[in-house]
Amino acid sequence: MISCADFMAEIGNYLEGEVASEVRLQLEHHLSHCQTCTVLVDSTRKTLKIVTDTGSFDLPEDAFRPIAAQIMAKIRGGAK
Amino acid sequence: MSYFGEVDLGSSFQPFTACREQFGFVPKLFRAQTLLPRLIEAEGALSSAILFTDKALTRTQKECILLVLAAAQANDYCFSLHYQMLRLLGVTEQRLDRIVADYQRADLSPTTAALLTLVLNLGTKEAVQEASSQGLSDESILEAILTAGLSRLLCTLATGVGAVPDFAVRPIPPQQSALIRDVDSGGPFLPAPELPDNYVPFVFLSEQFGAVPKVFRAQTLRPDILQAETDALRRLLLPEDALSRTQKRDILLTGADLEALRKSGHSQEQALEAAVITSFAAFLDVLQTGLGAGSDFAGKIGAKKVHLSPPEPRHTAVTLSIDLDADTVARVQKGDLDAFEELMTRHNQRVYRTLVGILGNPDDARDAMQDTFLKVFQHLGGFEGRSKFSTWLVSIATNTGIQRLRERRPMESLDESGPDEEGFRPRQVQAWTDDPEQLYSQAEMRSLIENGVMRLPMKYRMVLMLRDIEQLSIEEAASALGLGIPATKARLLRGRLMLRESLAPHFIPSGNMGSAKGVTN
Repeated sequence: MISCADFMAEIGNYLEGEVASEVRLQLEHHLSHCQTCTVLVDSTRKTLKIVTDTGSFDLPEDAFRPIAAQIMAKIRGGAK
Repeated sequence: MSYFGEVDLGSSFQPFTACREQFGFVPKLFRAQTLLPRLIEAEGALSSAILFTDKALTRTQKECILLVLAAAQANDYCFSLHYQMLRLLGVTEQRLDRIVADYQRADLSPTTAALLTLVLNLGTKEAVQEASSQGLSDESILEAILTAGLSRLLCTLATGVGAVPDFAVRPIPPQQSALIRDVDSGGPFLPAPELPDNYVPFVFLSEQFGAVPKVFRAQTLRPDILQAETDALRRLLLPEDALSRTQKRDILLTGADLEALRKSGHSQEQALEAAVITSFAAFLDVLQTGLGAGSDFAGKIGAKKVHLSPPEPRHTAVTLSIDLDADTVARVQKGDLDAFEELMTRHNQRVYRTLVGILGNPDDARDAMQDTFLKVFQHLGGFEGRSKFSTWLVSIATNTGIQRLRERRPMESLDESGPDEEGFRPRQVQAWTDDPEQLYSQAEMRSLIENGVMRLPMKYRMVLMLRDIEQLSIEEAASALGLGIPATKARLLRGRLMLRESLAPHFIPSGNMGSAKGVTN
């Protein structure tokens, strides 16, 4: 039997799918009777899904255009 | 060597390390996919679970299945690979040649012969019953069918990426012609213990496909394989750095139209990903046929007997794509300044996000973009393409960001542990709502995420930004940040848990609030 602390020590690898199958079975056995760790796994996965889906930190095209223009002006100036 | 450019992933890329341990080298099939390392990780995890884990069948039996099926599919690449693997496992050439010529007259053990008969005749309950009557256990039959699925995956992939054989090609002797049968719909053919809908892999599959496809419910004798399959699908489907999630799900469910993709001007990464997703569709197709689990995936591939025809020629459409970055970099190196502008346009989001992750605010990040791109231009002449251009670019952005930070806060060590480094404990442990993305508008959600990420300590924010928002692999993120893999993983986990903590109040149904107990035991 593994404890919540044992589970927390492996949760990072578990989320990345990088645990050996024997360890995975132990972790999933723990999950089958531990509501707290199940919630942690579930909500962390939901966090990752939201982070991936949301398109956060997009630089608007019109914000990039003047930056690109400045860079190209410097490069073309240096190239002359 | 293949249709796709190859980049150096460093000596510590885990799937390549595993290949060297298992094969003594890294097969070209995998080297052909280094543009998107997560694809190799997905295939590596699945192959390891099926091939390298000794449960019911031995490695030699599984390699025999792979050899015979590669011959049946007339796939030179896989045939030469598995031939060589069996040689390394101690099987003589003479014996291998006899197996390939006619396995039923090769003095194989009755068990191995029954396995080969099974995988060459998948699709009916009788084939499974015949295997049982020859003494094969349900676990052995399932593992043989999984290995057959892996064979189809590897053969489809080898064709799709245009891998050149690693070893001298041996002529494949003429194979017995295939008996085409209709797929028997009276499955499932094997017992499959019921697992609850909240079983973790099932939860992911439901999220992706609306329900758990029958082919997964038919494999519950091997939860470790189910986990490996869902892990692989997670790596394939979630990131959107090449194809969109919708495109990928469509390929899995209905088959790829690579020709249409080609005509629409896809990038090399997109073509590669399409080829890999197609090979996974072929894998799932073999399983659903072999297990009698209906046809949720890529029905076109499974319309007839699955092993005995070579992958469809349209897979080779991927040959016509070009490596946008490599060509563009070469043009810049020859003095074409417009090409540099193209590179900036293509990668400005990546540079911006890297810099936001380090500097912690959008204005500073925009400001540092100019420095970054000027350094890239200055050093591009010396860039030899040993790593992916985008990885090299991220490491320059990282260095630029860190340099700025040091100028701003010279006394702060970027590696110093925060006061609560070891003391962090999740406190919000109430269940989240089932579908958090339905609670807020896209703009509100973006604002929640951006605020949450910005509040993370810098060292966690940097890693989370590169891995979870920029979708780099752990190895790429570690390399760009100049950190070791364990430190990168530790910081990533801490960042994810802290972000989860800060988002939790927004996604816990109000009736569940107020019973926090934290993780204690």
